[in-house]
Amino acid sequence: MKTFWRSDWESLAKDELRREGAESLSRESQEGIPIQALYSQDDLDAIGFVESFPGLPPYTRGPRASMYFNRPWTIRQYAGFSTARESNTFYRQCLAAGQKGLSVAFDLATHRGYDSDHPRVPGDVGKAGVAIDSVEDMKILFDGIPLDKMSVSMTMNGAVLPVLASFIVAAEEQGVPQEKLTGTIQNDILKEYMVRNTYIFPPEPSMRIVADVIAYTSQHMRKFNNISISGYHMQEAGADSAIELAYTIGDGIEYVRLVTERGLDIDHFAPRLSFFFGIGMNFLMEIAKLRAARTLWYEKMQVFHPKDPRSSILRTHCQTSGYSLAEQDPYNNVVRTTIEAMAAVLGGTQSLHTNALDEALALPSEFSARIARNTQLILMEESDLSFCVDPFGGSYMMETLTRQLIDKAKMLLKEIDEAGGMTKAILAGIPKLHIEEAAARKQAKIDNGTNTIVGVNKYTAPTDKALKILDINNKEVLQAQKASLETLRRTRDEKKVQNALMQLSAGASDPHANLLQLTMEAMRARATVGEATEALVKVFGRYQASSYSVKSVYGKFMKDNPQFKEAHRRVDAFNRKHGRRPRILVAKLGQDGHDRGAKVIASGLADLGFDVDIGPLFQIPEEAVRQAIENDVHVIGVSSQAGSHKTLIPQLIDCLKKEGAHQIKTVVGGVIPPHDYEFLLSQGVGAIFGPGTPIPECALAILNLLENQT
Amino acid sequence: MMDIQTLAQQILASDRKALAQAITLIESSLPIHRLKAEELLGVLPHSQDTVRIGISGIPGVGKSTFISQLGSWLLSKKKARKIAVLTVDPSSPLEGGSILADKLRMQELARHPDVFIRPSPNLGTLGGLARGTRESIQVLEAAGFETIFVETVGVGQSEVHVASLVDAFVLLQMPSTGDEWQTLKKGILELADLIVVNKADGELKQEALRMKKMLELSFSYHEEGFHPAVLTCSSLENEGVGNIGEQVEHFIARQKSNHQFLERRKMQNQFWFEEELVWCLKEEMGHNPHVKKLIDPLRNKVRKGSLGISAAARRAVELLLH
Repeated sequence: MKTFWRSDWESLAKDELRREGAESLSRESQEGIPIQALYSQDDLDAIGFVESFPGLPPYTRGPRASMYFNRPWTIRQYAGFSTARESNTFYRQCLAAGQKGLSVAFDLATHRGYDSDHPRVPGDVGKAGVAIDSVEDMKILFDGIPLDKMSVSMTMNGAVLPVLASFIVAAEEQGVPQEKLTGTIQNDILKEYMVRNTYIFPPEPSMRIVADVIAYTSQHMRKFNNISISGYHMQEAGADSAIELAYTIGDGIEYVRLVTERGLDIDHFAPRLSFFFGIGMNFLMEIAKLRAARTLWYEKMQVFHPKDPRSSILRTHCQTSGYSLAEQDPYNNVVRTTIEAMAAVLGGTQSLHTNALDEALALPSEFSARIARNTQLILMEESDLSFCVDPFGGSYMMETLTRQLIDKAKMLLKEIDEAGGMTKAILAGIPKLHIEEAAARKQAKIDNGTNTIVGVNKYTAPTDKALKILDINNKEVLQAQKASLETLRRTRDEKKVQNALMQLSAGASDPHANLLQLTMEAMRARATVGEATEALVKVFGRYQASSYSVKSVYGKFMKDNPQFKEAHRRVDAFNRKHGRRPRILVAKLGQDGHDRGAKVIASGLADLGFDVDIGPLFQIPEEAVRQAIENDVHVIGVSSQAGSHKTLIPQLIDCLKKEGAHQIKTVVGGVIPPHDYEFLLSQGVGAIFGPGTPIPECALAILNLLENQT
Repeated sequence: MMDIQTLAQQILASDRKALAQAITLIESSLPIHRLKAEELLGVLPHSQDTVRIGISGIPGVGKSTFISQLGSWLLSKKKARKIAVLTVDPSSPLEGGSILADKLRMQELARHPDVFIRPSPNLGTLGGLARGTRESIQVLEAAGFETIFVETVGVGQSEVHVASLVDAFVLLQMPSTGDEWQTLKKGILELADLIVVNKADGELKQEALRMKKMLELSFSYHEEGFHPAVLTCSSLENEGVGNIGEQVEHFIARQKSNHQFLERRKMQNQFWFEEELVWCLKEEMGHNPHVKKLIDPLRNKVRKGSLGISAAARRAVELLLH
């Protein structure tokens, strides 16, 4: 047979393309990486590809030699809601049905270090996670779950001290000594300042807390992962894979630097560092990302001269993307999650959370949680995915893409280095800016139809039957938490508690004290999460980041979109008629720090010609109303992601009425279950925008609302 | 639209909602609103016993945080009873919209019951200053706000306008040495009554002190007369804010004792009258059909190049005046 070359293929392919009117054999990915129609040996030669093996440096092909051959990844579903009692029941059901590890979701009040009875948090208690106020709640949470056998992952960053301390003390009182505990504490504060916003203290003391936790656990809890360096939340906030990869590795390096500077030996703690990545719909890119992450981590760690090979092996948890899920035609989400889960497995993850199909709307119901869990069980036990280690290894495409992602990430990391490291770069707002820019670009590409989302901007289904979803009665949870707090405060030895809290405050000003150890004493004496946090706030203060916003990115991509033009025209007409532009306050209420949606909508509406006031994070309804009145806005747009809308929106509208500001309308966007629409509308909400509503559509609906009243 | 007498009553009673709506009225681009606004300003009293402080500086220099801290300091030391803040954000020249985010950095102050903060888009007019800022000040003063801050983005020409609105003009600077500081526009520095080198914290502290020295030196070369004081401040660490508050206080006291205070306000009134006159003329020329008829032929000639630009302009004025 005649030998053919790449050039033969290329001329053939170009002929086909020309007939079809296409121009190029390559497309640009979101990350700015050219994705070719075909890869071949030439590409491997170009990157100087060298064969490597799993379990061996640079670990591109996997952290363990045998990978899933004998030990599959851990099915670890993130869950938690309502009271500790309710969550405990749910955990036990999941474990009985095949789940292998626990992953606790705490409510936002707990995340931000407030007790359930604090006046700033009534809307958040028990909503997006479980409410934990003290060791007593923690003991109920793990009642009947053997903590010496069950690995427990806890997503906790801001209030890491009281929560981890409560966990350790609860285990201790369950009869399990701390050295037997397995699991992970997220303890990754840098990404909180970057995207998730559930921090409490300023960056400097927060970094000290991270180091204190690592120092303590690496000595006393050798089987416990002392940090989970997370890129997931960056992706959820709109970052592309290169940004997520770069900044996650950058954060990791910053932590390692921090802890080694305190004199800890690298091999003493680095084997217990763990990672957490999000896995979105770019199947090939996401596989490459995990391979690139391991390689890059190995390379970057060598400057610290580890002797233990485990110190430079990146082990990771993955979660399928919540961002990729749609409210519309929600069963499609099962398919999306399956594809993402496959990418995580092919990329070589150590544990995995698969999102439930109703995750875009609410916390998983029993049904949706089962399907999500089964998605993994089917991949693991029905398919042949776990038989072969790194099946993409050596693929022309995959190896090239892996290398290109590494190079791209290195470029982003260079900028961070030049800024003086991740902490400084974050304070200067550099990563936030890149992520917000990527988010606005992504939204514009969805809204203008460049990126397809089935059931959202293409192939939309006629409205189907609403899903049955889980609804938390926040009022009941609040009552229950208040009652147990009252009992706790009545029955504890108050003197002992106050003494421990004083010690904790004193420790905050003493750099040699270990704050985790001191917090454990306080929690053991039955101090609450809020009290322990307050003891530290006295010294450190509470931090609030100032926000940055990106302008004109959205508008640039949308300017030819007919709906965008229509909305723009209507805004101009409004301006001419009323003597000013439509003015909106984009508000976040309660302790929910997810502000990607709020920012994207703010920058999109400004690009459409609105005057947009930005409300600070963590506002209570009264504060938002005052800002709306002073700024004389036409409308308040509340962005809600954490389920507090049923409590906080009626409060907001009541407060508007009380202030006599009837002219100010309220609209709501974000994660709102359809069966709450009726309730919110009856409370006086003017319009509700579910996930994926194009911004011009929101703008037009707002204008209709305003024009109808005047 | 609300009855003007009622609105005025509510403003005098310091009603937050009425104040907000009055400012909206003042800023409106509709001629009918203009008339209403003028009517309102006509019935509101002029208060002289107030202090207006202008804060300017490039984006990112920390103006909002600075105001929040200075304001909180004034309130806590009982040096101010009621504080209002007017901030001006740029409108996009393309889409016309704006993002108004100054309040994010003034949360402590914004929660205080005796504080009123209003961000406004600049609508692309008067070099960064919202058209209505001057009139909004009058409304706020009538409502009993004795200390008024005006915050603007420093983009060059806007400083002239802010300086002409306030009793004390504070210019915020970033710490920088070397060539950079020389690019500071001399004209702007000379407008300042007080210069604050902000962000004097951490690694920038030394640089801030050096910059302070250099600025002081540059002033000492000038002729004698008034030299603005140069101070350093860390809004981040809340340091130096009290000192600046006291300096502002001294400056105002000195102005009052040598009768400069009211004199400056009179000069400012005249300045704004002339600004407003040009504005009105411009607007009239834009709308009046007779003017259009007179000027259009000249416009055409200029476009074709058959008449010089300045000659045409002079001719137009002659036509209009006869």
